[in-house]
Amino acid sequence: MSTKRIVATAVVTAGVLALSACGNAGPGGAGSDEFTDGKLVLAVLNDQSGVYKDLSGPNSVKAVEMAVADFQERHGDDAVVEDVEVTFADHQNKPDVANTKAQELYDRESADIILDVPTSSAALAVATQAAEKEKLYFNIGAATTELTNAQCNKYTFHWAYDTYQLANATGTAVTEGGATDWQIIYPDYAFGQDMDKSFTAAIEAAGGTVGDHIATPFPNDNFSTFLTRAASAEPDVIGTMQAGGDLINLVKQYNEGGYVDQGIELAVGLMFITDIHSLGVEAFNGVNFAEAWYWNFDDENRAWADRFMEETGTRPSFAHAANYSAATQYLEAVQAEGTDDADTIVGHLEGKEIDDVFLKNGKIRAEDHRVIHDVYLARVKTADEVTEEWDYEEILATIPAEEAFKPVEDSTCSFG
Amino acid sequence: MSSPTSTSDATGTGAALAGTGGFLGRSRRGWLLVGLGLVLALALPWFVYPPVAMDIACWALFAVALDLLLGYAGLLSFGHAAFWGGSAYVAGLAAIEWGLPFPLAALLGAVFAMALAWPVGVLSVRRSGIYFAMVTLAFAQMLFFVVNQWRGLTGGENGLQGVPAHFFGVEAVEDQAFYFYYAALPIIVAGMWFAWRVVHSPFGRVLVATRDNPARARALGYDVERYRVLVFVLSAGLAGLAGGIFAISHGFVSLQEVAWQTSGKVVLITVLGGIGTLWGGIAGAVVIVLLEDFLASSGFDGIGIITGAVFIVVVLLFRRGVWGTLSDLLGRRTGRSHAVERSISAGDGEEPTA
Repeated sequence: MSTKRIVATAVVTAGVLALSACGNAGPGGAGSDEFTDGKLVLAVLNDQSGVYKDLSGPNSVKAVEMAVADFQERHGDDAVVEDVEVTFADHQNKPDVANTKAQELYDRESADIILDVPTSSAALAVATQAAEKEKLYFNIGAATTELTNAQCNKYTFHWAYDTYQLANATGTAVTEGGATDWQIIYPDYAFGQDMDKSFTAAIEAAGGTVGDHIATPFPNDNFSTFLTRAASAEPDVIGTMQAGGDLINLVKQYNEGGYVDQGIELAVGLMFITDIHSLGVEAFNGVNFAEAWYWNFDDENRAWADRFMEETGTRPSFAHAANYSAATQYLEAVQAEGTDDADTIVGHLEGKEIDDVFLKNGKIRAEDHRVIHDVYLARVKTADEVTEEWDYEEILATIPAEEAFKPVEDSTCSFG
Repeated sequence: MSSPTSTSDATGTGAALAGTGGFLGRSRRGWLLVGLGLVLALALPWFVYPPVAMDIACWALFAVALDLLLGYAGLLSFGHAAFWGGSAYVAGLAAIEWGLPFPLAALLGAVFAMALAWPVGVLSVRRSGIYFAMVTLAFAQMLFFVVNQWRGLTGGENGLQGVPAHFFGVEAVEDQAFYFYYAALPIIVAGMWFAWRVVHSPFGRVLVATRDNPARARALGYDVERYRVLVFVLSAGLAGLAGGIFAISHGFVSLQEVAWQTSGKVVLITVLGGIGTLWGGIAGAVVIVLLEDFLASSGFDGIGIITGAVFIVVVLLFRRGVWGTLSDLLGRRTGRSHAVERSISAGDGEEPTA
């Protein structure tokens, strides 16, 4: 065969292939107005394998499945849609993966809503996709306030917590509790700087003072010099904005330094019950922190936590409860409106006041889609106070929904 | 980077298979492979989810760019994320601030990557082997920290969100990943052609000589360091081109792009595909990107374990990577590879005709 003929064959093959493909396939079309494909699809996009696996991960999917089962039990034959599916994907805390997976979930798996999405950069990437595809997105796992400020959009709701709320809850409550003289240690990057600012504002509003703002490298292992410096001013409390592995190192060094005996408390900006579980209560003795929800807070929470325990063999974190709540409220909205059309559901939810297992005195703010609810100041129990596994927290104070979150007047959000 | 002989074998066979007599080569096999490759590239978004197809194309060009440096100059850069990510940020900013069409934005990113690579290259090519890898890693980490701290410009850890894909007002391309792929593919292919051209130029021959025997190359009057800096800059430029398109196709740029894990991933892809085969990067990108995409929805929680295991198996069993092994098998059947190999390792500039 001559070269020319081979080339010709190749070109023709390519052409035929391209043309034939045009006929039957094509890029995925956008969703229709009724129930897409006659079913409802709830997608959980989160970290199934990395640092947030325990905080949300596979058990968030379980929580959403529980919400679906409860919904079907509640409405039985009256349910406006029979076929409700739960799907999930692992974003590995990588924004690139989250971005691609979000598109895929909306387009290919015809997801009507994406839930969870921890890690701020990934959360913001998914918000962009939600706006573009005009599909719903309830964020639970991410802390960035950008979701309800500069980067907000009509289809994105922020369900559980954010950096402002964390700083505000801990800063205000601890200061009002009598510890007015603060030193703040924060990691020198976007999250730490934001937290430092929010904390300072909250402390000063509550009548406290912040001495030094001590910036540390990130990531970092050795915090002893920073702690010594903070303690030398003899404050009532040291506030730390470290998270994850850095936090664990800092707390260990705080304990070794014997600062508790000098009467210096430790307040933590961002901490989860899973951190306590992995390190043990001894490591966090007496630490104060903000909690969005606690499983052993009241009977309602406890009853749900018992059911969750049956399903998963573990106690729920706030993220699991929030996923359950978000999925439930979405399903109820669909039931009330009889459609999965995103704009209708947004209209239904805006301004709605909700009380459920997660949202106490909850309300979905129409202006910025921040979901507000009561949050708590918690203290880690000492080892002899712990009566059962996961019984790690004592709730010191409840911060009412209206005071817990950033005031709506201060939000820079506008739905264009 | 084991023995120089095995690398040079791979070079020979890879080059032979990729079509040896000019880009649209005189050889039959060259024609066939180029045709087949293009058909597959064109057909890809029909079989693979289009954004994933775009990822494959971008990572493939990135790996080809790295192989230019690793396979042909024998320099293992562990800091190529700086060029991929640096370009991603420049391209993203250009698209946001000035509304540049994406090919121009990506090109601007590539120019930035080359400008960045020049001083880095001048300083790092004085060392080779592990020291070169460490120096490049150090520079990449510097860029990482600058990007992380310069929040006003880069958005810090939140990343640069909402990068628009402008394309001269063609809405299908701007809105749909499927058409975007076809708009971006020519740029990717052009980048690969450029890499191929570099390897098969007199410059490329000298490069191989500086890799195999720098002392001899120097004795022949070639300025080894200059050649290395130049290939470093060219490689950075191609990596930047890929990074720019990647950023715009995703609509945002994150710290992930300049993180060391990205440098690691592209080395993994290149090694998996086959060092010194140039096109091995394409095979590696297909395998890794598809594998990661599949695992992300599979419910299996040990993605690193799988990709790591694949890597170990390939390194232990297929020393020349996917592409190297395949082309070696094919070459053995036709008995061509040895002739080519010898002619190349002997420094013979003439292409053998099949």
